[in-house]
Amino acid sequence: MKNLRKIVEEFSCEYVENYKKIWIKAKLNSKNDLLTLANALKKEGLRSLSTVSPTDFLEDHIMEVNYFFEDLETKRNLWLKIDLPRKVEECKVESLTPLFPSAAWHEREAFSMFGVEFLHHPDLRDILKSEDFRGVYPFRKDFDWGAHEKNQMQNIQQIVDAFKKEQEENEIELDPDSSETMLNWGPTHPASGPIRLRVHCDGEEVISIDPDIGYVWRALEHLVTKKDFVGAIVAVERLCFMDNINSMVGYCMAVEEIADVKITPFASWMRVLLGEVARVSSHFMGLGGFFNNIGLHTLGMWNMDTREFFLDFLESYSGARIATASIEPGGVRYGLDMSMFDELQKALDKFDTTVGEVEAIFVKNPTMKLRSDNVGILSKEDVHEFGLSGIVARASGVKTDIRIDEPYAAYDELDLKYITQEGGSANDRFMMLFRDIKQSIEIIKQAKFHIEKAVAEGEMNPTKDHMVKVPKKLPKGEAISRVEWARGEVLMHLVTEEKAKSPYRLKMRAPSFNHTMMLNHLLKGRTLSDIPLIFGSLYICQGDLDR
Amino acid sequence: MIDSLFAAFIFPGLLYVLLWTIGLFWFFRKFIASLHKRVGPSFNGKGGSYQTLFDLSKLLTKESITPDGVNPYLFSIMPLLALIIAMLPSAFIPWMDGLVVVDSSYGLLALVILIGIEPFLLFLTGFGSNNKYSFLGGVRILTQSISMETTFFLASLSPALLFGTMNLTEIVTSSSWLSFLILLPAFAIYFVALLGLLEQPPFNIPDAEQEIVYGFYTEYSGTNYFLLKLAEFAEFMAVFAGATTLFLGAYKGIYFDSYFFFFMKMLGIAVAMMTIRAATPRITLAQMLSFSWKYMVPLALLNLAWVLFAKSLWFMGA
Repeated sequence: MKNLRKIVEEFSCEYVENYKKIWIKAKLNSKNDLLTLANALKKEGLRSLSTVSPTDFLEDHIMEVNYFFEDLETKRNLWLKIDLPRKVEECKVESLTPLFPSAAWHEREAFSMFGVEFLHHPDLRDILKSEDFRGVYPFRKDFDWGAHEKNQMQNIQQIVDAFKKEQEENEIELDPDSSETMLNWGPTHPASGPIRLRVHCDGEEVISIDPDIGYVWRALEHLVTKKDFVGAIVAVERLCFMDNINSMVGYCMAVEEIADVKITPFASWMRVLLGEVARVSSHFMGLGGFFNNIGLHTLGMWNMDTREFFLDFLESYSGARIATASIEPGGVRYGLDMSMFDELQKALDKFDTTVGEVEAIFVKNPTMKLRSDNVGILSKEDVHEFGLSGIVARASGVKTDIRIDEPYAAYDELDLKYITQEGGSANDRFMMLFRDIKQSIEIIKQAKFHIEKAVAEGEMNPTKDHMVKVPKKLPKGEAISRVEWARGEVLMHLVTEEKAKSPYRLKMRAPSFNHTMMLNHLLKGRTLSDIPLIFGSLYICQGDLDR
Repeated sequence: MIDSLFAAFIFPGLLYVLLWTIGLFWFFRKFIASLHKRVGPSFNGKGGSYQTLFDLSKLLTKESITPDGVNPYLFSIMPLLALIIAMLPSAFIPWMDGLVVVDSSYGLLALVILIGIEPFLLFLTGFGSNNKYSFLGGVRILTQSISMETTFFLASLSPALLFGTMNLTEIVTSSSWLSFLILLPAFAIYFVALLGLLEQPPFNIPDAEQEIVYGFYTEYSGTNYFLLKLAEFAEFMAVFAGATTLFLGAYKGIYFDSYFFFFMKMLGIAVAMMTIRAATPRITLAQMLSFSWKYMVPLALLNLAWVLFAKSLWFMGA
């Protein structure tokens, strides 16, 4: 950490301060220093750029850009800020993509949403937003959403026209003498989900892939600013329906940090418990999805069967099976009736009785191994360079798990170890998912045991301890929080104004964004059959891809 | 006259094949549902047993869309042709003792050829669809059928070699426990080739929905899709019946001979196929090709040698 601090202090900074245990927060005075500093950071080992998040300060005429550098190995992180002029014509800064490939799409996003121009970016096109937002920047504070919505028919026409134009151009641009074609793999493809991959292929061979994303763009980061701090969880949990709890945990941690509130031990244990239940139910879908993508639906169905029991527990606790809205700033939303643990026990029993079958038939399946060994290999280097996280990173042997790196809720009191695979192939990612489920089940058992014991001894009151009061109005401030989400690292950057009733800016850095970036890298030169397999193995959810 | 009409339209003709096909369709769905631990719709009939009929009648009456830019005749006649060709083998099968419509001395040849040209018709459906995915599906189906049919033909020829006849009735009458054991390797090879020919997992490469959106099926809907599906299941039936006739002694039973045994043997093959379907993911085209040409074809040739050897040991002069 000292080295890192020294490096940053060499440049002219407004401030350099320690933030949390493993972060350094600094603000550069001049944007001209950015490239040199980034170079030095890369040499020091901070090889991943987690995300680029601009904040638009309308009154100060400042566009503040936040960079989050991470070192997955030594767990040292840097939060770097620079101020840019807010005017669109002057809002320019050097691109970090040539140094940090993981920045490519994040910079494109900042460009599309805020109009920050990144100089020397190799491919600075619009991303996420639909064609009717061409040339305007929807996340800027002076963007008039109401006026935009009024021209609905015109907007739709614009999208249709752009699509037709692209269809025509596709065929023209291709070399008429070659056998190259372009396939639209999605958005209504049986295995794609709402994403479109423009697959350039020659017969069965893939030449290149250009993902077109944004089909489920709901502008969640904008929606939260229209809600109060509690209401915002509804938008946050819709990051992805499959693991909604952990994203809420991340957001609530950021709010609590600004409000300076400490939650009760009971609430933090409940966050662990609920979070792991959500992780398990998400991983069940992931395991099933992996096999669905190579044409076998049995495991998906079996997992759905087991998953229902875990959803039953979530339902008994919160009344909802999927969108539970059960984590709130200040704790967890509901008290716990201890009989609800009976539902959980049923789910755990169901898992224990079925896991053997699943392992024998599917995890050790020879045909699956034939397909997925040596396919879609990600090296450790790739993980660092492209800022991958979660099971994808761990499958390549990189020890990264926010639950251990930067423990939140009650994870520091748990018995937790890094679990990794070495190969980095699609099969390793599948194995990683399966082992992650087993680990999560162990955590659930530990957490359940701990809560039951503490309640029996009278240390926790399950009906009263669940919430501490968080003021409705928050002071001016900003905070970041990271959680280990089912798909990897979610970083939330929350900014509030003085006496704020709602967030001023919330950036959600979601892992699927980085993972989707890898598709071209992994699929170039392979065959069409590998597209669904590799796509499925990256464990992408379009919800958090588009936000 | 009446006899031929009865044979053509009722048994073992149109009605019989249709009943078998729909029955097989129904059985597949129910069987795979239980393997999937899946609860299907239970509203129509007892325990949802009519569901398949409802689905089929729905498909049959739905609008059949012919896309722009295709040859409408090629597009619409192919499903019908595929269905008719898939139904024809039934005429050559000795369903019961002494009951075969066309008792030809080239029965085996007819059976094998009728089964073998089906993939080419499906290739034409993909070719006629004017869709990139369908075209890829068509190319895949050609690749696969050429590789798999070689094995299939070689395996189907072993009974003819063993018994020295291509007449299916004679093959059945001369089959015994001994011939069953001799033909066991041939049956195993036939079964694997059958999976490839019928595009069943792990060889469901031509209609891989996650890769090329069901391949040649992509543009088909309504009646035409129904006909294609029916053709697929009629083809199942033909291939199962072929396997039963060639290797398993058709209607021959343990204590008495009856159609019942024919039925159960076919069902047994169906169950085996479904179980593989429920536990095996798809392999890639390249893996299929190398599997077929590196292992299956040499094995099938070796098997021919084995059959000739066995014939010289036990069947010479008999």
